[in-house]
Amino acid sequence: MPVFKTPFNGYSVKFSPFYESQLAVATSQNFGILGNGRLHVLQLNPTITEITSFDTADGVYDLCWSESHDSLLIAAVADGSLKIYDLSLPPTSNPIRSLHEHAREAHGVDFNTVRKDSFLSASWDDTVKLWTVDRPTSVRTFKEHAYCVYSAAWNPRHADVFASASGDCTVRIWDVREPGSTMILPAHEFEILSCDWNKYDDCIIATASVDKSIKVWDVRNYRVPVAVLNGHGYAVRKVKFSPHKMSAIASCSYDMTVCLWDYMVEDALIGRYDHHTEFAVGVDISVLVEGLLASTGWDELVYVWQHGMDPRAP
Amino acid sequence: MAMRELVTGGAACAVPGTSGSSNPLGALTDALIGSSSKNKERLREIPTATTTTSDGNFFAGTEEPFAALPGTEFEHPLQPNAQGSEFLQGFRSADQNRFADAWDEIQRPQIPHSLGRDSITNIPLEHGPPQRVLSSFLHSFVHSGHGSIPFRPTSLPVLGLSEGDKQCIRDRSSIMARHFFADKSEDFINTQVNALLSSLDIDNDVRSRGPMPGRLPELEEYWNESQGMKFGPYATDGWVTEFSQRQIEHNDPNAWVQSFERQHGANGWATEFEHEQSQLASIDQMRGANISSLAAMEHTRKLAHTLAQNNDPKFQNSKFLQFVSKMSRGEITIEDNQIKQATISAPGDWAAEYQQQYSGGQTWADQFVNEQHSHGQGWVNEFAAERELHGSVDGEWVNEFSKLHVNDWAEEFEHQVAEGVLGESAGDNWANAYDEYLNEQVALKQNSESSRGVYVFSDLNPYVGHPNPLKEGQELFRKGLLSESVLALEAEVLKNPDNSEGWRLLGIAHAENDDDQQAIAAMMRAQEVDPTNLEVLLALGVSHTNELEQAAALKYLYSWLRHHPKYGTIAPADQSDNLYYADVARLFNDAAKISPDDADVHIVLGVLYNLSREYDKAIEAFQTSLKLKPRDYSLWNKLGATQANSVQSADAILAYQQALDLKPNYVRAWANMGISYANQGMYEDSIRYYVRALSMNPKADNAWQYLRISLSCASRNDMLEACDSRNLDFLQKEFPL
Repeated sequence: MPVFKTPFNGYSVKFSPFYESQLAVATSQNFGILGNGRLHVLQLNPTITEITSFDTADGVYDLCWSESHDSLLIAAVADGSLKIYDLSLPPTSNPIRSLHEHAREAHGVDFNTVRKDSFLSASWDDTVKLWTVDRPTSVRTFKEHAYCVYSAAWNPRHADVFASASGDCTVRIWDVREPGSTMILPAHEFEILSCDWNKYDDCIIATASVDKSIKVWDVRNYRVPVAVLNGHGYAVRKVKFSPHKMSAIASCSYDMTVCLWDYMVEDALIGRYDHHTEFAVGVDISVLVEGLLASTGWDELVYVWQHGMDPRAP
Repeated sequence: MAMRELVTGGAACAVPGTSGSSNPLGALTDALIGSSSKNKERLREIPTATTTTSDGNFFAGTEEPFAALPGTEFEHPLQPNAQGSEFLQGFRSADQNRFADAWDEIQRPQIPHSLGRDSITNIPLEHGPPQRVLSSFLHSFVHSGHGSIPFRPTSLPVLGLSEGDKQCIRDRSSIMARHFFADKSEDFINTQVNALLSSLDIDNDVRSRGPMPGRLPELEEYWNESQGMKFGPYATDGWVTEFSQRQIEHNDPNAWVQSFERQHGANGWATEFEHEQSQLASIDQMRGANISSLAAMEHTRKLAHTLAQNNDPKFQNSKFLQFVSKMSRGEITIEDNQIKQATISAPGDWAAEYQQQYSGGQTWADQFVNEQHSHGQGWVNEFAAERELHGSVDGEWVNEFSKLHVNDWAEEFEHQVAEGVLGESAGDNWANAYDEYLNEQVALKQNSESSRGVYVFSDLNPYVGHPNPLKEGQELFRKGLLSESVLALEAEVLKNPDNSEGWRLLGIAHAENDDDQQAIAAMMRAQEVDPTNLEVLLALGVSHTNELEQAAALKYLYSWLRHHPKYGTIAPADQSDNLYYADVARLFNDAAKISPDDADVHIVLGVLYNLSREYDKAIEAFQTSLKLKPRDYSLWNKLGATQANSVQSADAILAYQQALDLKPNYVRAWANMGISYANQGMYEDSIRYYVRALSMNPKADNAWQYLRISLSCASRNDMLEACDSRNLDFLQKEFPL
């Protein structure tokens, strides 16, 4: 299974929604604590080669692909800026936009998959901002969280609904047509680092926390979680619903493993991959190739593998 | 109803019992109108219609500037709809290219490396790359959670971190530590973070804590808190240390305590705070038309109740703690007297703040309209009622908020202490931790000041009185007995302080012995005596590159060129004060053309390319000069360090091996070899090389630090004690090479 070595510590990996063999990786020097960042665009053929890369003056914590243009990428940079890159242009013309409104580190970005014209950024300045690629300023700022917002995720069915996960131990559900958040989900007793919506049921959301657990919630009845997935040994860094199987979830953790879960069965943990030798902080599931997974971590490696295979197998 | 109309005019907006400039709504109006006009300026500067990409489709949205996205209207006060689009239309009929150019120009400076913190990626050629040192150091910090390895403060080599760098390290490590050390106690986390910060000498310059926000950050925090969020575990965010760090700039550490005592009994703020809370509660009720918000409120109230019941002093103080945790993120800066002035709030600022906080991004106007519809009772009435709740007269609440300056949190703290909420032991702990921290800082500071730029002679030098210490020193140096050679050369420069050769050789001996501070100090003395000595200038250029001081490095390298008999003509004298990297690099490239066989020019080019992080070119330059000077062991070392920095640690090991073959007692190359192995994750191997380096020069403090890091990375915690006690015999037996 192919591996790619990045010079800096991996932070996030995302498959292109347009090309099954393309993916991008966000990396930061010195674990993102200090130093530069680099965004790599990679090609699977079937080894991993680099198509291009972009340097930034601060670490890159997250990235997302545009859902409307195959060549557009958005990076969340630790200096608080969001940078938009166009792969069809030479590196000297990039980034085509640098949006700097967040007062602190930008930690998450997510592109709207329904309207396909806007994206969200989550920041350590406690806010989420709504942007479009064509506007130099944000469309809206959502400021209710009381601590760092680590990620924001659009609902896959409703163009105007998204969720945000914060260190204030809540997930908030928002409708951009409404003035404030429409729901506050006190999902964990500890900081919540990530959330994602089920791709088949628009009321199901998964949350990942420093308390080592992943919880699955039905927003129509949020007093009790639908499932609690225990198995990670440290804080769970990212959680991602499968685009192919309704009840499948991928997660990565500071315990250096990537796990796959089926939240509907009793023994929910269906796969554990311990290929990373440092914190595993980025995981993605390909939309275009069923069962294809990618992960990155602070061991400066990017792995792409088919579920069930050994990521390290040559 | 147009925004402006709603805000400025209309009886509906009048608040009973208010008038004049202290009228909060007037202030709100000012703030809103002020912000709209400001925003127009921004639109002018950054047009939305541009031609910066090959694909015009991205900008199709600009045809309907603000209507396209739902939710846009909630940002109206910041984006005046009508004026905005009119303005844009006018603008688009104007010369579009010019605007596009302007936009391009704004965007261009974003090219990587032209901004931001460059220093960290600069490269040391002589000893382990700081970047890698820092990286290994952070690595051991990050992993200290696994297996509870205590992460001890160590004194690292000067890494040349800027204030911005320090702020990042401080803020980010505090936040991230709470993720990796999730199952550890707060004390553990605090200890780890403090050890990291104090090792990196990050602490006392509090002014650098971050850009001071334009508005009142602390007011914002109070509002957030009064919204009654659930308090997370981060609330206990190492406030003790954070707080003490903040306080360093109060020159007298006791002043803080004293000021509490003086203000004892001043509990006005606390009362105020309660009022604000009840005010917010009623606002919440008013807003609570939808169920989820009621649920949130219920949750909040329950939480508040729980907090009140909890006897844990941490919880009792959680508001305060949360406030302090904000400080841990550098959002609040305490500047004693200075900030007081800065924080006397303009009513306009407050109004804007209030508006934002209150509605969570919703415009006041929308809120107003909604409330008018959904309740018989409007926001205005509610507002008036709340004012009565305060029992205050005209505009007084504005004043009350103005009083919320930084010291208020101190008052609150003091108030809580007075009520015994915190408990005696907590207070004592705090005091002790604070004292400890202060002592540590004082010690560190003295340490670093004494060592910078001043040459420190050894005690009890047996070579003092030697008839020809220079000759002896040269002889010892040739034999590779560096530490002995240092003593002899010290005797020489004590005897003949004007002997530049003595100082120069002393500098080189220190550099090879892995002691940069002393090397620089000696080289500077050599340069004082003989300002045009080319070898000295080159050595200083390299040392300053190692120390990440680009300007100084350029100065010495440039003056090397200027004093060189062959190249002096191509370097104009008038430039020497104002050097740019590109100019200097160009001059040296010219010099290389003049005499392509001058190894020194290629060496300088290699150094320069390291400064600009063009490692491939740097490697090429060093390889060229190695063809000319294949037996220069320090050059092999430079090549190795450059390769290590460009992530070719395996190649670097080959280069270091060349250096060691030429000079087996080259302590620095042994240590660098260790670093390269460590960079490849081969910690066991790295330990052997560090131990070898240390057996040759036990005074190489840096190598002891690297050794410690490698030991913990290799899970050889059993050897940490031997390392801390510097028990070389034991280590050599355990790790033979």
